[in-house]
Amino acid sequence: MTELAGLPKLGRLFTKGVAGSAGKRPRGEVRLPEVSYRVARVDTAGEAAHLAAYQELLGEPSSDVLPAGFLHVLAFPLATAVMVRGDFPLPLLGMVHLRNVARVLRPVRLGETVEVRAWAQDARAHRRGVQVDLVAEVLVDGDLAYQGVSTYLAKGFRAPDGAAPADESPREEWTAPLPTARWKLGSGTGRAYGAVSGDQNPIHTSNLGAKAFGFPRAIAHGMYTAARALAEVGPARRGEAYEWTVEFFRPVLLPSTVDVAIRNAADLVPAGSAGSAGSAGGNEPAGGFVYDGWRSGKGTRHFRGTIRPL
Amino acid sequence: MSTTPAPVPSTREAVIIGGNRIPFSRAGKKYVRTSNQDMFTAALEGLVARFGLQGERLGEVVGGAVLKHSKNFNLIRESVLGSSLSPTTPAYDVQQACATGLEAAIAVTNKIKLGQIESAIAGGTDTVSDAPIVVSDRLRAALLDANHAKTTGAKIKALLQVRPKDLAPATPSTGEPRTHLSMGEHQAITTAKWGITREAQDEIAYNSHQNLARAWEAGFFDDLVTPFKGLTRDDNLRPDTSPEKLAKLKPAFGMKLPDTATMTAGNSTPLTDGASAVLFASRAWAEERELPILAKFVDAETAAVDFVHGHEGLLMAPVAAVPRLLARNGLTLDDIDFFEIHEAFASTVLTTLAAWEDEEYCRTELGLDGAFGKVDRSKLNVNGSSLAAGHPFAATGGRIIATAAKLVAAKAAETGQPARALISVCAAGGLGAVALVESV
Repeated sequence: MTELAGLPKLGRLFTKGVAGSAGKRPRGEVRLPEVSYRVARVDTAGEAAHLAAYQELLGEPSSDVLPAGFLHVLAFPLATAVMVRGDFPLPLLGMVHLRNVARVLRPVRLGETVEVRAWAQDARAHRRGVQVDLVAEVLVDGDLAYQGVSTYLAKGFRAPDGAAPADESPREEWTAPLPTARWKLGSGTGRAYGAVSGDQNPIHTSNLGAKAFGFPRAIAHGMYTAARALAEVGPARRGEAYEWTVEFFRPVLLPSTVDVAIRNAADLVPAGSAGSAGSAGGNEPAGGFVYDGWRSGKGTRHFRGTIRPL
Repeated sequence: MSTTPAPVPSTREAVIIGGNRIPFSRAGKKYVRTSNQDMFTAALEGLVARFGLQGERLGEVVGGAVLKHSKNFNLIRESVLGSSLSPTTPAYDVQQACATGLEAAIAVTNKIKLGQIESAIAGGTDTVSDAPIVVSDRLRAALLDANHAKTTGAKIKALLQVRPKDLAPATPSTGEPRTHLSMGEHQAITTAKWGITREAQDEIAYNSHQNLARAWEAGFFDDLVTPFKGLTRDDNLRPDTSPEKLAKLKPAFGMKLPDTATMTAGNSTPLTDGASAVLFASRAWAEERELPILAKFVDAETAAVDFVHGHEGLLMAPVAAVPRLLARNGLTLDDIDFFEIHEAFASTVLTTLAAWEDEEYCRTELGLDGAFGKVDRSKLNVNGSSLAAGHPFAATGGRIIATAAKLVAAKAAETGQPARALISVCAAGGLGAVALVESV
């Protein structure tokens, strides 16, 4: 466990990450560094303006309880610090966010002093390379309050020998349901969420930056879309403790109109067998909400996730 | 869900004396630069003139507008002050989207029934042509900051936050705040869910124009409408439209859905300007003044649905409200002589009727033992509705109440039997208001 005095500045980490990404190329099997970062005392009292900006952008109601999406943002610099280390074998730029599973076990309130931890784990095979989990935790008085697991894909890299093989099962057939909402995402969507989250990855903030990574235009942050769905379900329905998952498919090219179906899980026709709770894919969760996003008028699937009270 | 209706406490009756409105006009036509207050005052003055209420102190005047500027905080009171009613007549504004006019009527008739007031006018007005335009949130924030700033330097600093794109105004839209889908798109989803056909919708639209045209020709509206700004009839009315013409129109909503788009400008209501007002009273007040009594405003019910997560369609709340209203009054659909179902879209009427005929839906969603029942189409919107007349949001309730009251009065006079009308109005926000009107 490596102690840091405070949360690092994302701007500096990105500069390091950009510089370091070029040198991180596939060679040999991927070995993750045995390191865990920890900031023992983060005073959230200074986050009031940041929280207000986050709430306004995502549509979260004004409240002193930090939404899971905000806790993800709060811990993001520490997870990034892990990823920009020289001995972290995968390049910060160019990694693809595949899915995110976050759990809020108890509410974290503005003004509370929290402990933040982050590490990387479980490098394993993906059919297009290697996938890795970045885990971020927020603790209050020593008790785990939030855990977020972000799974990224690094294309072309090789999983460690002995790691679980890639899931080769074909993707389930999917047809768009009737929408419950329509999001018009302007060309500035990436810059707006970048300003609030600190994630200024150029694929989100500029068309030129996106082109450098093979996208025709800037793409929305996946976490922006997931956090909007979380906000839309809202505190009254997700409860104090909840799980929030998302799986990303095709990226949202900006500007774009995204059709969204955010539905009560109870309203969904059970697909075959009774599903295991909480997985981001296939099976339906036992309660809570299921959300889907796709390009309006097209079958291009963007994301799917669940929000479930714990 | 409780299925046993609570006993209705006995109160005195609230009666409908008459109504008045100005002809409804498509947005951007006759009533350009005519304010909500102008229009409501005109509707009010016509009603005052018709029943000789000049100088009269009424119990209350209640109404509202859906698209309302904050400077019109006392829109109805200001209209009263501009009318020939006594300036000692109290007034207040209400707003419940498209159900505003009907909700205003529910409010005043309840006060009459309780004996708190003897007489009242309820109504509403809306203009799309003169709609308030809102500045962007960023410009608004900068202006407020500048306003609160104490020094000139701080004021300038606040105003320097403004960027050119912040100057673009925000015009009002029919989009739902939580879903960002327009009302038409929401109804297109409901239409797809219920599999309502294009032909069925066009038929509703055609009938609306035919029925409204016939009613105008027959002089039905002679004592319900006051000409305004050179307009003597609703200018959206197309007596010469035909099923063939309606079938040629391109779809306007639901183009992004997997199902074939069926909703067109012809089977959806256009944006409209207009105002309406209805005079209510206790029976004693009306009789004292020898005013005609058309009907009783018997009872009303409101409902709301969870549309945000697609559990129910945005405009389906009246589907739940009507069975509750009828049960409380010991009635079924067969006891109704006139169905006045507001035509927000032709498909709104059709999804409402389809839901009532669906056994499974009525059991699971409405808590009934089986299908609620079938509406006799020959009793539906017999003198036309919003598809033909247009729909100036808050003014629609008053238009429908006056029409329903006249219809039941005429039917009762003709048959010597009591006649009943059921009014159903859907509204944004998943809201619905319904009411029962009965001959005296």
